[in-house]
Amino acid sequence: MKKRLAIIGNGMAASRLLDELLRRNAGASFEISVFGEESRGAYNRILLGRVLSGGEPDEIALKPNDWYAQRGVAFHAGVRVAKVDPVARRLTTSTGELHPYDVCVFATGSSPLVPRVGGLKSDDGSPRDGVHVFRTVDDCVAIRDRARPGSSAVVVGGGLLGLEAAKALCDLGLHVTVLHLEPVLMNAQLDRNGGELLRRAIEKMGIFVRTGASAEEVLGNGHVEAVKLRGGDVVPADLVVFACGIVPRVEVARASGVPVNRAILVNDLLATQVPGVYAVGECAEHAGKVYGLVQPIWEQCAVLADVLTGANPRARYTGSKVYARLKVAGVEVASFGVSDAEFLSDEVVQVFEDRRGVYRKLVVRDGRLAGAMLVGCADAAPALVQMFDRDELLPPNRLDVLATGNAPTTPTEREVCNCNHVTESAVVDAIRDGCDALPALCDATRAGTGCGSCRGQLVTLLATHTRVASAANS
Amino acid sequence: MSAIPPIPLGTLPPQALGVRTHCPYCAFQCGILMGEDLGGGLPRITGDPNFPVNNGQLCIKGWTAATLLDHPRRVTSPQLRERGEWRDASWEEALDVVADKVLAIRTKHGANANGVFGSGALTNEKAYLLGKFARVALGTANIDYNGRFCMSSAAAASNRAFGIDRGLPFPVADIAHAEVILLVGSNSADTLPPIMQWFDKQKASGGRLIVADPRRTPTARGADLYLQLTPGTDLALANGLLYVAIEEKLTDPRYIADRTTGFDNVRGVALQYHPARVERLTGIAEPHLRQAARWLASARSAMILTGRGTEQHSKGVDSVHAWINLALALGKVGAPHSGFGTLTGQGNGQGGREHGQKADQLPGYQLIEVDAHREKVAKVWGVEPATLPRKGKSAYELLDSCGSEVRSLFVMGSNVAVASPHLSRVEQRLKALELLVVCDAFHNETSAHAHVFLPTFQWAEEDGTMTNLEGRVIRRRVVARPPLGPRGDIGILHELAARLGCGEKFAFRTSESVFNELRRATAGAPADYSGISYAKIETNDGVCWPCPAEDHPGTPRMFGDRFHHADGRAKFFPVEHRAAGEEPDAEFPLFFTTGRYKEHYNSGAQTRAVGKLQSAQPVPRLELHPRLARRHRVASGSRVVVESRRAKVEFVAEVTADIRPDTLFAPFHWGGRDAANLLTGGALDPTSRMPEFKLAAVRIAGVRA
Repeated sequence: MKKRLAIIGNGMAASRLLDELLRRNAGASFEISVFGEESRGAYNRILLGRVLSGGEPDEIALKPNDWYAQRGVAFHAGVRVAKVDPVARRLTTSTGELHPYDVCVFATGSSPLVPRVGGLKSDDGSPRDGVHVFRTVDDCVAIRDRARPGSSAVVVGGGLLGLEAAKALCDLGLHVTVLHLEPVLMNAQLDRNGGELLRRAIEKMGIFVRTGASAEEVLGNGHVEAVKLRGGDVVPADLVVFACGIVPRVEVARASGVPVNRAILVNDLLATQVPGVYAVGECAEHAGKVYGLVQPIWEQCAVLADVLTGANPRARYTGSKVYARLKVAGVEVASFGVSDAEFLSDEVVQVFEDRRGVYRKLVVRDGRLAGAMLVGCADAAPALVQMFDRDELLPPNRLDVLATGNAPTTPTEREVCNCNHVTESAVVDAIRDGCDALPALCDATRAGTGCGSCRGQLVTLLATHTRVASAANS
Repeated sequence: MSAIPPIPLGTLPPQALGVRTHCPYCAFQCGILMGEDLGGGLPRITGDPNFPVNNGQLCIKGWTAATLLDHPRRVTSPQLRERGEWRDASWEEALDVVADKVLAIRTKHGANANGVFGSGALTNEKAYLLGKFARVALGTANIDYNGRFCMSSAAAASNRAFGIDRGLPFPVADIAHAEVILLVGSNSADTLPPIMQWFDKQKASGGRLIVADPRRTPTARGADLYLQLTPGTDLALANGLLYVAIEEKLTDPRYIADRTTGFDNVRGVALQYHPARVERLTGIAEPHLRQAARWLASARSAMILTGRGTEQHSKGVDSVHAWINLALALGKVGAPHSGFGTLTGQGNGQGGREHGQKADQLPGYQLIEVDAHREKVAKVWGVEPATLPRKGKSAYELLDSCGSEVRSLFVMGSNVAVASPHLSRVEQRLKALELLVVCDAFHNETSAHAHVFLPTFQWAEEDGTMTNLEGRVIRRRVVARPPLGPRGDIGILHELAARLGCGEKFAFRTSESVFNELRRATAGAPADYSGISYAKIETNDGVCWPCPAEDHPGTPRMFGDRFHHADGRAKFFPVEHRAAGEEPDAEFPLFFTTGRYKEHYNSGAQTRAVGKLQSAQPVPRLELHPRLARRHRVASGSRVVVESRRAKVEFVAEVTADIRPDTLFAPFHWGGRDAANLLTGGALDPTSRMPEFKLAAVRIAGVRA
């Protein structure tokens, strides 16, 4: 008999896990069901900015709603799981339905972090009109409906998500102010130099940035009218978007007795301490780390699928090397590993090109890359991250690795003789140096000594340039 | 990088160059003019200015091709191996030995114990007849050919996507009119030099060229955008480009809706190829990805062309399909001067893969496991359908089973001891055979293990048809008188069939009569030759299949209004990046990949015997990046030992910044201790059974200054 596998959540981790399971023919041994809070099939959250700027939700769909049934996966759309009973091995939905399972996977992801700010709710207790978070397709649709050209928006949070939302709103013609608590934008990825270049670029796009600023209270009569900052400034706003980061969604796990620290605790098999219960993605904490980027989560999904299907029972997840690669407000940013020296013996290489707005930084440990940060131009990033992944030794001149092999190709000069790679200018030079007959020209340049098919051309060149040469000499 | 210009015709006596025929080497099949030297020497060669594919241009291999016709190492007598040495034998004796041994093996071990290994160098007539010989005279399922090592991945993907496989679905001249071309894993400036005239024309009229290759080859140097991708990541690159196309709304929704099926699933997969992931896998920076996608999408006409670099992988079929997905999503396949194509390698790589040398195929791309196809072909052959064997082993598996399930191997026109992966294993298997028969004009690395050598005519000594990379069927003509001794392959197969009791089914007096039977066998098949005749080829500079009737003009361009699946639509197919059969690791940290020199052709069996070519490129050189060279204290000219899990090979180093710092390259034209394919492995594509020639994990095991 088939085992019942329940996946709680239907975000990018669940979607990837399904792919990895089906690729290992899990349909033969499992009846798979997926519980998704949102009513649509899985979509690519990285592309939410596109929905914000007017795209259709379908354009970023990873799995259309009929995908699930076609592959024998039961998709419970718009169903929230309230609790898991790991002893009876069944889960309860928020409407009280019971679903038995044999194996259960938490892929509940995370929810937006909203700081303690006054005035988030209206007087009647409902969320205040005009206050949004930026996490789901529905959030984007709601923001978009609210965003009118000429309106003003305050985005709280100057990290990746906040800057992306700010850019989309600015593109829609709004007056946008970004509030960021730290002195450096995107401080999770960038140092002061990098953050400064990014700020310049963002301001150039028409977005106002206030660093070291935090919201104290949202003001308004019914809907939002302004944001009051700590310190007293008041910024008028028709729209406030909170994009201050994420918190793992662990409430169901916690209610179900699954051990939780910052997120659900898993070991190298992605198993929680509770038999039959696993976790992957942003809701999982492995070796003290909670990952928020796609690549590590996919690596987790591959391991879990290997383990659950028995395709490779000895597969283990041992942590990921994270590579953050973004284009924020038109500025290329890449960063991985440590962002600064941590030991006395660490070397730091920095190239700061003020006018070009390019900043590149390497942190070198034991002759190998321990981290890198690129702002403004990240052409070298792919080669660097491959060296980081492979733990490769760097060349003695560290700057060599910043040279990109993909520099634009210079137009090559026409070759007369393809066999011996002799260019036209080499032939002409030889003629001017006195080769006035074909055999001498062939000897001097090697042109025409391969297949011989260029000899006709050599004769023409001789005719043309001997005249020129003799005229010049006389 | 312009291609080689034609010789002005006035420089050679015109009466000496009367015969229009084609070059013996690659799939471009340049038109040449040949004739007897009036002084009684070798036939001379010049480019045929009126053949619309090469327009009179030839490469150095073509110019020197006649050298082999009276080469001193030409074998002119059948030979039998006795106590390890070759001795001359009569044709009667040699053929009797082969037939007796084959019959004994069949009696003792069953019909499938006799194997046949064919070639993409054989004419259509020979390829067809060899397939028939295996199925009818030997009754064996085990026939395959070296095209399995060449075109099988592109063929399988094209069949899956379009319902048909023809290398280029348009004439090569269309290249000149494409606004943007993406060339993946092909160094055509060296491997198909005369094709560059079309790229030059394309560039001259303002077109753009994008080249993806781990090496900055002469082809890549001429590109407007060069993508130096990590070996084995072509599929991720293609999906990454599709991601960008979807994200930036560059796809063609109308084309997708009207002409294709399956896009939704492909989009779901492609959306998992975020540029960050693709950069990390491929090494291609996001701005270059976006640039490539935008150029391709915004061009009114655009082509994606693949070569072996993207195909010779254990995920070759899926990689090609990823490129096809991209071309379809951009609405380019079937549009004017646009589409997807693969640059076929071997001379008759196209015809060779159509006419039943493949373990699973019957003539005209019909399938040996489909009853209707079996019945049709059996009727043409005059046998009972039930007597036709079923599907046999693919090329590498066939070689791998030599000495166990397969006891004899009959090799025609292929040098498997150079052109196969994991050569030490292949050589050991060849040595274990009870009978190895090699039909060729020269001894080569494979015949070194043979028991019987049957000397054959060369290309210019017999006629027949070839099908070039455009699907154009062309005539190869008799120009030179063969020496006394060698025989034609068609005659050899007839003699052997007679000894095996079915001579009447192989009693063809001319190539044309074989071709006429081939026409009947392919009537109504995907590769339909039934309307093509020798006379029609003559008057039309070749005829492109499918050509289903005498009055049909042939089909130079395909897919203009429909594809060849029953519903007329092209099929998207979701494909995912996966690791190679052998990825570099701590022990073997470098990629090793192979390719070709301009001066040599495939296993080098012919070109290494041409003095001019051999002196231009006498040895294989190992390309490595200066950074890697410095770490290992290698200079150009040092001798470097490269080691994989299978073998060690010593090469002369060539330090060049044109290669990725994590990759080594060597050409595969040499055999023996110089063979690059000693290093490559035996991982096969699950669909095409293509070996992973283009990627092996290696290390530098030693350096001598």
